[in-house]
Amino acid sequence: MALLTAHRRVLHADLQGDRIRAASGSMVAVEGNVDFKSSGMGGGGGMRAALKRAVAGESLSLMDCAGHGRVYLALDAMDVLVVDLTGDTLTVESEHILAHTEQLRLDVQFAGLRGMTSGQGLATTTVTGHGQVAIVSEGPVMALEVAPGADLVVDPDAYVGSRGQLSMNLVSGVSWKSVVGEGTGEPFSLRFTGSGLVLVQSAER
Amino acid sequence: MSFETVNSKVVRAHVGPGTPVLARRGAMLGYSGQVTFRPVHGQGRGMGGMVGAAMSGESNPMMATEGTGQVLYGYKGLHVTVLELDGGAPLVCEADRLLAHDATLQTSVQFLGSGGLKSAISGAMTGQGLFTTNVHGRGAVALLSHGGAFPLQLAGQQVGVDPQAYVGHVGQLSVDLAAKVGFRDVVGRGSGEAFQLRISGSGTVYVQASERKF
Amino acid sequence: MTYPPGNPYGQPQGNPYGGQPQPYGQPQPYGQPQPYGQPQGNPYGGQPHGQPQPPYGGQPHGGPPQPPYGGQPPQPVPGGAPSGVPSTLDPHTLPDDDNVNPYVFCIALNGEWFMSKGAMLAYYGTIQFDAVTEYSSVQAWVASRFSSPVYIQDWVVAQGHGKLLIGDRGFDLNSYDLDDGNLTIKASNLCAFSRQLELKQSIVPGFVTLIGTGKFIASSNGPVIFVEPPFRADPDALLGWADCPAPSVHHDAQWMTQNVRGMISGALGRASGEERQYDFTGQGTILLQSSEVAREDPAVLRLVESQTQLLTNSQAGALGQRLIARAQQQ
Repeated sequence: MALLTAHRRVLHADLQGDRIRAASGSMVAVEGNVDFKSSGMGGGGGMRAALKRAVAGESLSLMDCAGHGRVYLALDAMDVLVVDLTGDTLTVESEHILAHTEQLRLDVQFAGLRGMTSGQGLATTTVTGHGQVAIVSEGPVMALEVAPGADLVVDPDAYVGSRGQLSMNLVSGVSWKSVVGEGTGEPFSLRFTGSGLVLVQSAER
Repeated sequence: MSFETVNSKVVRAHVGPGTPVLARRGAMLGYSGQVTFRPVHGQGRGMGGMVGAAMSGESNPMMATEGTGQVLYGYKGLHVTVLELDGGAPLVCEADRLLAHDATLQTSVQFLGSGGLKSAISGAMTGQGLFTTNVHGRGAVALLSHGGAFPLQLAGQQVGVDPQAYVGHVGQLSVDLAAKVGFRDVVGRGSGEAFQLRISGSGTVYVQASERKF
Repeated sequence: MTYPPGNPYGQPQGNPYGGQPQPYGQPQPYGQPQPYGQPQGNPYGGQPHGQPQPPYGGQPHGGPPQPPYGGQPPQPVPGGAPSGVPSTLDPHTLPDDDNVNPYVFCIALNGEWFMSKGAMLAYYGTIQFDAVTEYSSVQAWVASRFSSPVYIQDWVVAQGHGKLLIGDRGFDLNSYDLDDGNLTIKASNLCAFSRQLELKQSIVPGFVTLIGTGKFIASSNGPVIFVEPPFRADPDALLGWADCPAPSVHHDAQWMTQNVRGMISGALGRASGEERQYDFTGQGTILLQSSEVAREDPAVLRLVESQTQLLTNSQAGALGQRLIARAQQQ
């Protein structure tokens, strides 16, 4: 079975006659006999899913890597993290998805206003099933726990993804707006409540 | 003489009377001691080298560091990989990957891959960077990469490398430029990326963790 | 999905890039153990996050073993599971005024801190951010601490209680403790400072000086390199200095003559840092980083603009024409 292993900024994908999906253009080197084929947006899912994606504006261009060998994948020297999913769901910004094993399902979830403010589209991507997903981030990812009484506020540009029973709200307010009055930084930040984990990267861009 | 790795992005050279260093211009971060810098024009040796350099855009401005002292080199926060050349097979890399090297090492410009002058020109036009610099001799070289270069050891097998991620190679290796049908759609972000470097033989290939060139 | 407390920086054994020969050489500390400041777990002390570190794997954060991610010791990844999976952090396991990883610092906020606009990554607790300009009208002490009109617009006061995580472009972050001292640092690399410190503009453009007793956080592209005078530094690579006199500008005579010759032969390269350096003498410490791609610093415009008041009207007109010509060239 295909195995994904993170080596700091490079993902090793070892294929044994099976396939994985990876972000288009992320192959830096390949050993063995591996074929690359465009698998379209979000790794298929039919016409309805494609339409949904088009409306949502969550763009994720993936390619199929199939065969025997090792593929080295990397994106802009960002750190790589491999997450094992065992039937649960990970919510992740599509631009942070580097690769995933075949058995996982990618879907688009509407995120309400959040996407509008962060400029990342109106939707976010959910990954469900049993398998591995590799995500990239500027610097290592921190997994910050959210629990009742421990709300977390995150800069939208530092937000990578989340899991658990979380609800997300925009934080604005007069003071925050005046802080960003000159066009740098974000006019909003995200407040997470409930219980779960929020993945945050080390850079605010 | 070798370069001392200060951290992943900075090297220190001990420059002495017999051991000047050639470095990329603008790469000097600081120095102590009596050290002078002198611009060096023309990357390659001889007429062919100069022509190649002009054609390829590989005329990387270099400078000589002479005198006695310790000099720190780094460039734009890029990662630095130090390689020791044993005088055997040359290091092949793109000229703009060279941060610094012992001045005793010789450099020359070469067209990498198959095909004649025509494909060389088209390669240069599409910005494929198919012109490379060969570094010969015995000494140390500091190479630049975005995100760090990782080595792939080859012992007879073949490896495919994204030209944008290719840093360099050392050893008995042959390099072919393969235009893969369909590869463009998948891997390419622009029309110029429909190629893959096919490297085989025995030696070491260095690849960076990014498709971004600088 | 699981988040086992694994080693956050790749696999613990050796080089995760595949164990090939000498990928990066051996990192060695630059110069001697840190000469300045408090020996308390920060780069100015000697237990630094900012030390030269094995860039790919090895120990997490290089140097002395330290608890990454909130006190959990690095453990072997069980059963060959994917590496790099972080342990979870919450308000209690986040460190107090210490690095979470080389690129993120956690401030245990209880009161006020000055913070660069946009440095906030995330926070727990009740924290309010106010522009320094606004806050100083409410709290008189602010104006006396932050005496730089050029930079005041880029700064906020973070006020409240909680854990505040800050970062800067993914650069390395270091904390510095001043004990009745002063340190001058590149303004665009200063991320935050405690309210006990006083900030003033340096004579050297683009730099600010922090004075007093307290803590501040600054970023660097790659770990900070500490050197001692006599030393000449490329202006782009200079991060700051402490205890020594402000630098003078050194022009490399040989480089200049060579370049005049080069100009005649028509093969002149662009201006580079080699013909002009900052020259440090005396006793003290100099901080360097790998030079970075210059970020557009809004304060530079304000700084230069304020200097144009020295010009006469006709001089200002001549300057204006030159600037227009330059803008049209690009």
